[in-house]
Amino acid sequence: MGQHFKTAGKHIRRSPYQAFAAVVIIFITFFVATLLAILAYASYSTLRYFETKPQVIAFLKSEVVPDDIARLQKSLEEDPRVRDVRYVSKEQALEIYKDATSDNPLLSELVSPKVFPASLEFSIADLSFAEELIKEVEIQGTVDQVAFTASLGGSKNIGGVIENLRQISHYIRTGGLVILAFLSVSSLLILLVILSMRVASRKQEVEMLQLIGATPGFIRAPFIFEAIFYAVAGSFLGWIFGILIVLYSMPFLARYFGDVTFLPSEVSQLLILFGAILAAEILLAIILGIIGSSLAIRRYLKI
Amino acid sequence: MVKFEQVTKKFGQITALENVSSEIKKGEFVFITGPSGSGKTTLLRLLLREISPNKGKILIEGKDISTLRSSEIPFYRRKIGVVFQDFKLLADRTVYENVELVMEVSGEGQSAKRKINDALKQVGLAERANLFPRQLAGGEQQRTVLARALVAQPKLILADEPTGNLDPATARQIVSLIDQAAKNGTTVLMATHNADIVNSLKRRVIQLKQGKVVSDKASGKYQE
Repeated sequence: MGQHFKTAGKHIRRSPYQAFAAVVIIFITFFVATLLAILAYASYSTLRYFETKPQVIAFLKSEVVPDDIARLQKSLEEDPRVRDVRYVSKEQALEIYKDATSDNPLLSELVSPKVFPASLEFSIADLSFAEELIKEVEIQGTVDQVAFTASLGGSKNIGGVIENLRQISHYIRTGGLVILAFLSVSSLLILLVILSMRVASRKQEVEMLQLIGATPGFIRAPFIFEAIFYAVAGSFLGWIFGILIVLYSMPFLARYFGDVTFLPSEVSQLLILFGAILAAEILLAIILGIIGSSLAIRRYLKI
Repeated sequence: MVKFEQVTKKFGQITALENVSSEIKKGEFVFITGPSGSGKTTLLRLLLREISPNKGKILIEGKDISTLRSSEIPFYRRKIGVVFQDFKLLADRTVYENVELVMEVSGEGQSAKRKINDALKQVGLAERANLFPRQLAGGEQQRTVLARALVAQPKLILADEPTGNLDPATARQIVSLIDQAAKNGTTVLMATHNADIVNSLKRRVIQLKQGKVVSDKASGKYQE
């Protein structure tokens, strides 16, 4: 094993420009991959935030009797599209108002519970149901009006929020996968070209090794280690730069996302997320390195 | 040790060897002679299992090497020492490391230090072990190749025009070293068209012409 590392090291030192080119190409791939992974996580967190937080408030008419409220609550609870239904009485609504205006007690002193309508708050299992569900609730005789609490990217209405989320999810999932696949294939091809040049320049050595009884594994090993070095170095640098960019953009992102916890707020959770991304990228890099080098040397290893 | 039974090898329409039959005993030194294109190198390549015959069998210690699986070929080749006209030394390794490579390949690595030093002493290169091939003369490079061929104590040495790039005096030194290996019990097949070498050593000569054995004489003479 040691001698293969030594040989791989010699190959790298001897052609530093090729080595640099390989690392840079892989760096670009994994830099983008890091950003996409964090965006994917943020998009997932955002969706979860909207899914788990009460998003819809159905304000009830003041003349509605408790039986009607109970009936509507039951029908919502039985609806598979609806989660976490909660009844908020006029008094509770006043408490919420007092909490929200605690910095200005005068505002709460002027109001009584009668001003606030009772309401049913609930969240939606999947945001794609939101529009139709809200329309269904709005036409209930007990409901005065329905409000949607989400706000994202400046959109205050439900259509805008859902459209934003859909677009973000779509871009990250589909676009991200396409970009990542394209960059991965490009990296693989660059690795393949660089290692093919390496193998071609050492063709005589490969032939000689075969003639003295080296196994294909023995011949392949230094080239595989070399490719893994490029891939791991490139992916590590890509990860570092990606993380730095994300951390640098945090204040702007925080403003854009508002209350949404798009990245873990605890440092340990954040480190786990970044660590998981690094581990996945290193694994992908190793796979790319192994495939690239194996393909490059394959044609010279015909016995 | 080595037996050819009606061996034929074709490359497309060209017949490189045709119905070659011969037997070589253990410890025998045999010259394979003939003009360029007579099939000498093809014969050695067949023995190295670089290529397979279209017809016939090649038996090494009674085993037909055509039946070897791909995974068995490297292990078969470790029993053979090879000497090339163009040396095939690794420029970025010292004399010692070039010889050591054979031991690394067979998994002996560091434990083979004594064998490597013995092989270098045998070819008179113990003092030059730390030099790189470019720092050596042609004869010294070929002696390095010979040390590499001898270090694993092979049963068979295949030498393909080992004196082709050497001056007559150096060529004689190299052949004398190969002959010494044969005297120690190693079977040697040496392809050459150097008549001086063949005639001075008086060993068995198998002469090929257009892929056929035209003569096979113990202590034969060869005329280019």
